[in-house]
This record gives sequence, structure tokens and C-alpha cells, in this order.
Amino acid sequence: MDINLMIEIMPLLVKAAWVTIDISVRALFFGFFIASALVALRSSRTPPVRWLARSYISVVRGTPYFVQLLLVFYGGPAVGLRLDPFTCGVVVGAFNIGAYMSEAIRGAIISVDSGQNEASRSLGFGRFATLQHIVLPQAAGLMIRSVGVLAIILVKNSSLVSIISVVELTYQAQRLIGSTYKPLEVFSLSALMYIVIIYAVMGIVELLYRRATRYTYL
Amino acid sequence: MEFDFSPVITYFPTLVKGIGATLLIGLVVGIMSIIGGQIVAVITLYTKKVVNWPLRFFIWLFMTTPLLLQLYFLYFGLGQWILIPAIVVGVLGLGFHYMAYNADIFIATIKSVSSGQYEASRSLGFGHLATLFYIILPQALYRAIPQLGNNMIIMVKDISVLSAIGIAELVYLSQYAISVTFRPFEFYITIAVIYYLINILMETGQSWVERRAATRR
Repeated sequence: MDINLMIEIMPLLVKAAWVTIDISVRALFFGFFIASALVALRSSRTPPVRWLARSYISVVRGTPYFVQLLLVFYGGPAVGLRLDPFTCGVVVGAFNIGAYMSEAIRGAIISVDSGQNEASRSLGFGRFATLQHIVLPQAAGLMIRSVGVLAIILVKNSSLVSIISVVELTYQAQRLIGSTYKPLEVFSLSALMYIVIIYAVMGIVELLYRRATRYTYL
Repeated sequence: MEFDFSPVITYFPTLVKGIGATLLIGLVVGIMSIIGGQIVAVITLYTKKVVNWPLRFFIWLFMTTPLLLQLYFLYFGLGQWILIPAIVVGVLGLGFHYMAYNADIFIATIKSVSSGQYEASRSLGFGHLATLFYIILPQALYRAIPQLGNNMIIMVKDISVLSAIGIAELVYLSQYAISVTFRPFEFYITIAVIYYLINILMETGQSWVERRAATRR
């Protein structure tokens, strides 16, 4: 192990790790809105809307993220969609994770006993008020945990963005392996950074989980 | 904005070759990761700490770092000490990655088989190893089937990542065709459709296997 080299490449990798965090946080943020919209569409009263949302989720989950990335980045210009690499990573990441997250959110909502819904409706709460005050608070715990798992997958998937030449952690690591000929040092440092990011995500998820289940008796 | 799918038809034999390569890699990696995962799980659970802690560390390492980083390390990194062909690196890298995930599942399902089964089997005269192979592992395997199926479906999608280290599977061959025909959109759409079909087939297969397994539990 060459400690001097590791200290030398540290700033480069930290900078690249920021790009990884940046891209993942943005994709998670937009992905959450896409997921919420998909959940709403899936419970729509018009069948074609439901059907459309279902097939979108099925197609996104049924094709590799890698191919989606290549399709939008290299195939996009053919349909007038020109994105710079970073934006492309965020957009594809958000639309990809949105489909997975909508399933997670829907699963959490469904897992709340339907009696809760019926009782609330018969007490005079509206559809939306029931969702907001009765169902979502109970679904929150499970929802946060499963969205947390997806956030970790999102961080790991962000490594694929290096293929469309975004200088994030994996891209930087590959470049440094090529220029320093010290694969073990570069790999262990960049792996360490992914591990730190993932454990930070896990910690945040745990905090949110505790906060969301403060008043729930389980 | 006009689409011309005729190059896709011209290069369809190339794509078929790619599908074949993808499926073959999937089969090899699938068998390797399921059998290997089971062996790793058994060793992790039933040996002394000196043996199982390094294994636990590697499972953890493979699960917390991205696949592409692992592949780059194996391909560009190990290439400086020993020369390994890309296809071997790809299959081994993907195999180890999913071996770790499968081992994690097997560890959970082996633990979930109640200890009463072990005690009953031992008191009937089975030895330690015989109990493991005839009583514990079959039950654990049946319980692992749904999650294993999910993992294998994700694994087939991840084969596309192997194109990054130059393995001639579906995506790589289509990239070659694109570099000749300059039709990225048409080719990538075709690839997406092919992957979607493979995915539907695998999901159908998964529910079939799960139904079969449920009757034998």
C-alpha cells in the first residue's frame, strides 16, 4: 500500500464523490415526485390512465438502467432530446428510480389495513383527508425503509453514469487506475467512499424512520 | 426526426449473436452464483471465525460497492499482475457479485429453518453433515426461491454492464452496429425491447418455478 499516493489522490476522489452524491440526491428528489405521480395515476378512476402508468412501470423495471441511459444519451438527439451528461444522468436516474419507488410507496399504502380506510371514510373524512391523516402516517415507516433501500441502489447505479463520461467516483477511479498503475490503492479508497455514502444514507433513513414511527404502536 | 429500422434488420444476425452471448453468460453466472452462494453461506455459518470473517467481509464488500467499480478493478487492476481474458473477468466479476447477494439470502433462509429440525434429525441418527445436506439445505433452498428469482432477473439486466469492459454481448454488439450505421436510437430501442421480452419470459418462469416449489414444500 502506497500511503503517499492515497493522500495525493484523495482530493480528486472526494471531488468525484461529491458528483456522485449530487447526482443521486437530485435523482432521488425528482424521482420522488415522479413516483408520487405514478401512484396517483395507478389509483385513477379511468382505466386507460391506470393502464398507462402500469405499463410505464413495467417497461422501466423490465429493461436495464444501463440501456435506458444509452438510449436517452445517444438515441435522444434523434428525437430532438439533447442533454448534457450530468442532466442525462439525473433525468434517467429519476425516471428509473421513480418507477421502482412508486411500487414501494404503493406497497406501503396497501399494507395499511383496509379497515382503517373504511372506518375513516365512514367517520366522514374525504378520500384525500383519509390518505393524509389516517393512511400515510401509518404507511410512513415501511415506506421510508423501502425508499431507503432504493436510495442505496440509486447511489450504486450512479456509477453507470461514468459510461456517458460524467466524472463521478467510478469514472475517476478508472482514470486513476490507468494513470497511477496502483489499482489496489485506488480501489480501496473509492470503495471506502461508496461505503461512507451508503452508511450515511442508512443513518439518515434510520433517523427518519424513528421520527416517522414516534407515535405508532407496533 | 425520422426512423429507419432497416439497419436493425440488416444487423439482426449480429444482435441474435448478442442475445445468445447474453443468455449464455446469464446461464453460467446464474449456476455459478446459486451454487457458489450456497457454499459460501454454509461455510460462513458453520465454520470458525478465522474462516468465516474474511468471507463475511467479502460479501459485505461486494454488496456495498457498485458492480462497475468491481469490474474495473478486476479488469484494469488485476490486469497489471496477471493477464486474464475479458470474458473470464466479466463472468467471474458478475458471478462473485451475485454470489455475495445469493449467499446473503441463503444465510437468512438457513437461519430461518427452525433448530428443532436439526435436533430432530440428529436424534434420529443423522450426522452433522448429513443433517445439513438432507434436512436443512433443501428446506432453505425452497424458501430462498422467490428472492433468488428476483436476483437472477436483476442479474440478467446487469449483464449489459459487461459491455463496459468490452465483452461481446448484446449491448456491445449493438454499439458496434451503431458505429457503422449511426442509428443509435433505433438500435437501443430494439435492445430495450429484447431485454423487456427476456424479462417477461423470466418473470413467467419465476412464477412457474414458485408454483412448483410451493407444492413440494
